[in-house]
Amino acid sequence: MGQFVESVRIALGALWANKLRSALTLIGIIIGVTTIIAIVSMITGMNQYVAREISTLGAATFIVDREGIITSNDQWWDRRGRRNLTIADMEAIASACESCELVAGRAVTERQVRHGNLFVDDVWVMGSTANWPLIVDVEIEEGHYPTESDNAHRRSVAFIGYDLIDHLFPGISYIGKTIRIGGHEYTIVGNGKRRGSTLGQSRDNYVIIPQSTFEKHFGAQRSLDIFVKVSSIAAMTGTQDEVRMVMRARHKLSYAADDDFEIYTAADLMSVWENFSQGAFLVMIGISSIALVVGGIVIMNIMLVSVTERTREIGIRKAIGARKMSVLWQFLSESLTLAVAGGAIGILGGVLCGWALSAISGLPMGIELWSIIAGILVSGGIGTIFGVYPAMKAARLDPIEALRYE
Amino acid sequence: MLIETKDLWKTYQMGAEEVHALRGVTLAIERGEYMAIMGPSGSGKSTLMNLIGCLDTPTRGTYQLNGRQVATMNDDELARVRNKEIGFVFQTFNLLPRATALHNVELPLIYNGTGGEQRIDMAKHALEMVDLGDRMTHRPNQLSGGQRQRVAIARALVNNPSLILADEPTGNLDTKTGLEIMGLFDRLHVAGNTIILVTHEHDVARYADRIVHIRDGQIEREERGRKDAAA
Repeated sequence: MGQFVESVRIALGALWANKLRSALTLIGIIIGVTTIIAIVSMITGMNQYVAREISTLGAATFIVDREGIITSNDQWWDRRGRRNLTIADMEAIASACESCELVAGRAVTERQVRHGNLFVDDVWVMGSTANWPLIVDVEIEEGHYPTESDNAHRRSVAFIGYDLIDHLFPGISYIGKTIRIGGHEYTIVGNGKRRGSTLGQSRDNYVIIPQSTFEKHFGAQRSLDIFVKVSSIAAMTGTQDEVRMVMRARHKLSYAADDDFEIYTAADLMSVWENFSQGAFLVMIGISSIALVVGGIVIMNIMLVSVTERTREIGIRKAIGARKMSVLWQFLSESLTLAVAGGAIGILGGVLCGWALSAISGLPMGIELWSIIAGILVSGGIGTIFGVYPAMKAARLDPIEALRYE
Repeated sequence: MLIETKDLWKTYQMGAEEVHALRGVTLAIERGEYMAIMGPSGSGKSTLMNLIGCLDTPTRGTYQLNGRQVATMNDDELARVRNKEIGFVFQTFNLLPRATALHNVELPLIYNGTGGEQRIDMAKHALEMVDLGDRMTHRPNQLSGGQRQRVAIARALVNNPSLILADEPTGNLDTKTGLEIMGLFDRLHVAGNTIILVTHEHDVARYADRIVHIRDGQIEREERGRKDAAA
C-alpha cells in the first residue's frame, strides 16, 4: 500500500514538474468529460421540464385530433390531407362515451392582435369550449374564462395571456377593454397568470375565445382538437377504444381501413420526447467517446515519452530492488492521476457549461450525480487502458541497458 | 563463503555471431573481504560485475550468494536479492535528480516495504554514517560530486547489504575527493562490510586486499593488494 501511495506521490510530482505538458495532455479528456456532464445535465433538465409540462395535461387525459404527433416528413404529407374534426364529432363523443368525465374542444390559429396603435404578432388564438381551460389548467389571475353562455351566443369575448398585457396594456387596466383580431373586436373578460418562457418560446402569447365565435370569425377551416378527461386512469385504454369506435363510425371507415385521426396521451408525447432525447444522448456518447479516445492516445504518447526520458531513473530503481510490478504501478498511477485530474477538470467544465447554456437559452438544467461518477470512472478507465502499454514498456526495461542510457 | 561462482559463462548473440563476454570464471569471496576486479575495457569486468550484482544471470555456471543459488532466479527474485543483499555504487552516482538526499537513501527501503518512521530513521542513520547528516534535505544538484557519491554510498548501506559493489566510484571525482571516498570505503571495510571494487585504475585497485585481474573473459591472475603489498 505504501508503494502505491509512493507511486501516486511521485506521479503528482512528475505532473506538477511539467505543468504545460500536463495541461496540453489533458485537453482531450477534459473535452470528453465536459461533453458528458454538460449534455447529460441539459437532457436531465429538459426531461424534467417536459415531464412537468406534459403532466399538466394529466395522466387521465387524452387528445383526439387530426394529425397527432408528427415525427417524420412522410407522416406530415400523409396526414395533411385528412378531413377536419368538428364540433359535431366532439358532441358525438360526449354523448356516446360513458367513462368520459369531460369532453372539450379547441381550434388554434396564429394571428396578430391589436389595440389602438399597439400590436403583438404571432399570437396563438384558441377557440375553445367553456370547459377546455379547466382540462389544461390555465391559471386565472383576474376575471374568468369565456363561459358556456358566451359559447352559446357566440360572443366576442377574450381571455388573454400576459404578453398581451405587457405589450398592449402596459401598466394600465385591461378588463373590459377591447382588442382587435383579424377585423373583429373582442372584449377582455379575464387573463392568465404569467408562465414565463422556455425553449426561447413565450408561453404567455395567447388568447382564448369561445369556440363558436372562432368558427364564426375564422371559418371552420381549422380542425378541432378534442380533449377527453377520463374518470380514472384505469379506464384510459378502454375509453380511448370507445372514442376510436365513435370516430371510425362517424368517418364511415371500413374494418380494414386505418384511422384517419389520431388519439394520443401525455405518455405518448413523453415517448416522442424520450426518443429524441435518447438520440441526443447517443450523439453525446459518440462525441465524447471520440474526444476521450483521442485524449487517451495523447496520454499514452506522453507517457511513452516520459518512460523514455526516465529510462536511467527506471534502471536505478530496478538496480536497488524495484520489481516489475512496482515500476508498472508507478507509471500506471501516473497516467491514472493524469486522466482523473483531467476528468475532474472536465466535470467542473461540464457543470459550468451547463449553467452557461441554461442561462443563455432559457433551457433548464439538472446535474445528475451518476454522470459525475461516470465522468470519474470513465476518465480513470481511459487512464488505465491507455497507460498500460507505456507502463509495461517501463516495467520490461532491462536494468543494465537502462543504466547505460544517456 | 559469501560468494561462490563456478565456471561462469556469459554469451551474447550479436546477429549471427556468438560473443562470449565471460568464459568460465570461478571465484570465491569471503565475508568481510575487500576485493578489486581489474581489467581493460572489453575484458568482461562489467559483465562479471553485473552477474555478481544480480543484474543479470549467467548463460552457464553457478553463482551462490549468501547461501542462495542466484543463477537460476527470475527477474522478481533477482530484484529482491539486489534490494536486500547488494549495495551499488556507480561511477555516475545515479541518484534521482528531483528527490532529496534523504528520499534517495530511503528508496531501497520503500521497495522492501519498510514502514514510514522506521524508514526515515534508517535513512538518517545511513546519511550520518557518511557524514552527511546536515544535508538530508538537499537535492543532488545542490551537492558536490563527492557529496553525491556519499549519498549513493549511504543508499547502498541503508539495507545492511551483504555486499557493496562499486563500479569506478572515483571515476567522476577529482583526485582529492577521490581520496576521501576511498578513505570512506576503508572505514566501511573496517566496520565489517564486504566490498568489491571494479576499476581499470591500479591506483584505486590498490586499496583492496586482493586484486583479481580479468582479461578476455577469464581470470588472468590474482594479486595481493595493499595489505600485503611491498611497502
